Amino acid sequence: MKKIIFTLNHEPVSAEVAPHIILADLLRDRFQLTGTKLGCGYGECGACTVILDGMAVNSCLILAIQVDGRDVTTVEGLAARDGTLHPVQKAFVDQGAVQCGFCTPGMVMMAKSLLDETPNPTEEEVKKGIGGNLCRCTGYKKIIKAIQSVQEE
Amino acid sequence: MQEFSVVGKRLPRIDAVDKVMGKARYTTDITLPGMLFGKILRSPHAHARILRIDTTRAGKLSGVRAVITAKDTLGIKYVHAGPPFQDKDVLAPDKVRYVGDEVAAVAADSEEIAEHALTLIDVAYEVLPALFDPEEAMRPCAPRIHDAENNITMRGLRNYGDVDKAFDESDHVFEDRFVTQAVAHCCMEPHGSVASFDPKGNLTVWTPTQSPYFVQKELAVVLGMTPSKVRVMEVPVGGGFGARSKICEDEAICALLAKKTGRSVKITLTRKEEFSTTRTRHPMIIRLRTGVARDGTLTARHVKIVTDNGAYNHMGPPVMGYGALASASHYRVPAVRLETYLVYTNKQYGGPFRGYGGPQVIFAIESQLDMIADRLGIDKLEIRLKNCHRPGEVTACGWRISSTGFEECLRKAAQRIGWEEKKKHPVRGRGIGIAGMMHVSGAKVYTDGDFSSAQVNLFEDGSAAVFSGTTDMGQGSTTVLAMIAAEELGLDLDDIHMVTMDTDLTPIDLGSWASRIAFVGGNTIRKACQDVKRQIFEVAAKKLECNPDDLVLKDRKISVVGSPDRSVPVGEAILESPNRVGKMLTGKGHYDPPSELINRQTGVANISAAYSFAAQAVEVEVDEETGKTRVVRVVAAHDVGRAINPDIVEGQIEGAILQGIGYALTEGMIYDQDGRAENTNFLDYKILYSEDSPKIETHIIETDDPEGPYGAKGVGEPGLIPTAPAIANAIDDAVGVRIKELPILQEKLYRGIKQATRERSG
Repeated sequence: MKKIIFTLNHEPVSAEVAPHIILADLLRDRFQLTGTKLGCGYGECGACTVILDGMAVNSCLILAIQVDGRDVTTVEGLAARDGTLHPVQKAFVDQGAVQCGFCTPGMVMMAKSLLDETPNPTEEEVKKGIGGNLCRCTGYKKIIKAIQSVQEE
Repeated sequence: MQEFSVVGKRLPRIDAVDKVMGKARYTTDITLPGMLFGKILRSPHAHARILRIDTTRAGKLSGVRAVITAKDTLGIKYVHAGPPFQDKDVLAPDKVRYVGDEVAAVAADSEEIAEHALTLIDVAYEVLPALFDPEEAMRPCAPRIHDAENNITMRGLRNYGDVDKAFDESDHVFEDRFVTQAVAHCCMEPHGSVASFDPKGNLTVWTPTQSPYFVQKELAVVLGMTPSKVRVMEVPVGGGFGARSKICEDEAICALLAKKTGRSVKITLTRKEEFSTTRTRHPMIIRLRTGVARDGTLTARHVKIVTDNGAYNHMGPPVMGYGALASASHYRVPAVRLETYLVYTNKQYGGPFRGYGGPQVIFAIESQLDMIADRLGIDKLEIRLKNCHRPGEVTACGWRISSTGFEECLRKAAQRIGWEEKKKHPVRGRGIGIAGMMHVSGAKVYTDGDFSSAQVNLFEDGSAAVFSGTTDMGQGSTTVLAMIAAEELGLDLDDIHMVTMDTDLTPIDLGSWASRIAFVGGNTIRKACQDVKRQIFEVAAKKLECNPDDLVLKDRKISVVGSPDRSVPVGEAILESPNRVGKMLTGKGHYDPPSELINRQTGVANISAAYSFAAQAVEVEVDEETGKTRVVRVVAAHDVGRAINPDIVEGQIEGAILQGIGYALTEGMIYDQDGRAENTNFLDYKILYSEDSPKIETHIIETDDPEGPYGAKGVGEPGLIPTAPAIANAIDDAVGVRIKELPILQEKLYRGIKQATRERSG
């Protein structure tokens, strides 16, 4: 077991973790942040996407011990404390970009990271940006539209 | 046209905020105090006799709380399609029939321990010869997988009209063979469940199902309990597409482990299990013989379907039955013969999947229609317009068409893809194709009906809670039902609280399948709302000295039509009603559509009270050097009766189209020579990523069905059905190669192009 200290959703936290534990399990089991979903467990679906030091990563491919001293944001850390939705979240709601919702947290986190890096992305840039996040329900059209709509506000 | 306040609006889904915030609590997110973790031991063999199972070593592993085998079950088989088709045990007692068959299960303190314990269970098998090809399995000398003669578990032969005479009188008869593959649902949320018994023996189950009612019923049967002691809870469902329209088997194992340990147990399938052990779309071999007049009028059809059932029946019988009927659906064919064989093989077994047999058969129908048009030199849009059903007509199998915008769908899709222009100026390597479909809005397949029921509680403040057994598997049906309630009760969407799929609280609905919720569930909610309105209107009519029929309910007030100041607040009417329950009134609704069970003698029935129609036109680009196909654009025109929420309707169509493109071009389960699924991850099994998605243009055609709620019909399944044949047709248009076996993989098309080139030059 190793003690790690890191920033989780803007708060300092610590945890004792076994070396083989993945970040997704740490978030879900230890911190009950179940917004981060596990769809495959090997980095192909993107449902477990979180933001690590400003970069979107698959939390199933990161070991918990790797986040020691770093900054992790999950979907739970996106909205304001008073519950006001982040513009990306609001866009997903308004544009009908949510169906079953299982890919949504990962998709929202990936979209946030994309928009931080590339404000006002083109359709092709959005498609590429969320290229590692699978959705079986929506056909991506309304997700792409939602992400692009953020620039208009 | 009638004006609505809520219906027809693009309102956000009522569950969207929870979902974007990560607050929706799916089954895999549930943790209960003292909860254990379950894992399932599965057969490594496609076909084998179980000689003995020794669980001693596994049971002794520290942290293992229970190990179960068939001995811990009652030996009762799942209901699935009902007698005489019940053939699946919860845990295999004596024989395994596919790689993945459930043999034993473990509950332990952690998933790791449970997994380790599985390796300590010793099972001695006597391996038996296995069958993977349905046509081979039908041979008289083939070994038997169950007791069925020639491994045929169901066969059918039905004639509608004088088929032989119709063929004799046809100017041309064309026969072609089409083959479709097994595809995986790929719900983003893996299957899984949590089960817990209370000290009195009541079972509570959390499971992402499309039908809590069926899960409750199945669990009660296999566990020997009364259904009232089985509670299936409301959870968000992470995708369904048919995969969850019946019990998924992990629920019963989970419940048995919970019973044996006296603790709650959670099972979550791995993605590998998800791919290799849950249901697939049934592969079919379809021989299609079609008689046609010189001018392209369809005159006769004989469809022979050999369905690869896999190891167990599950819902194979109705899936194949429905698929066969779909061969005489959207185009008029006066004489039809349906010949069907459902055949066991030692493979992962099929089940319901968006379209329920329709996509397989309509791939054949729509592909062949293009081939016929080519042979007769008729335009491919023209042949469709010539044969498409018109309002008021009845299909050969008895489907009565109360409303149809099919002709408009065809014209719209063709016009928007640029049909005339592109046919006049063809570009090598680029092609367009069109295909259509007709599909049910609910279907009468169970003898006790196709019903839904609901209760509405109207509170003193005028707001309402709606209790409905329906399930939203992600499609947005709960929002649609809430919108219907809001419209009926004159409220805003926010004023409606929906309680769904909790078998202790919600009246029975059969589930989210057959594109039935908006239609069947919607009519039910309307009836329940009208029931409560009737009660408050009776009170208000007395007070306002008017006829109850002259009253409207809007903004929590009951007023006389045309005189808004003659009104009574809802709360007052509730408190003065003799029917009041505390400070509320309840309305009840039960609706069973005026559809018909199939007539066993004739095979004729109007199985649904309304039918949806669609046409999709696609444009593809084919690289002739490599065989790579890119879908450039899809135009989808769908007759949905009325779009209660256009965003949700479009979402259904767009998502289904991507599944349809996968079905056409990239998806297919691959099994090795021993029947082991080989492509059990998203790298090897290719569903579409965002970068693969084409431009999709959706047109909603509203036909205002007389039976539908506000005219609405089903839309859940139709989007996928015409996509694959439209793509196959577009590929043929682009490069002159007709692929009759799905999926149209790049290498398959490459070989087709090379062969066509050789034939042309030779």
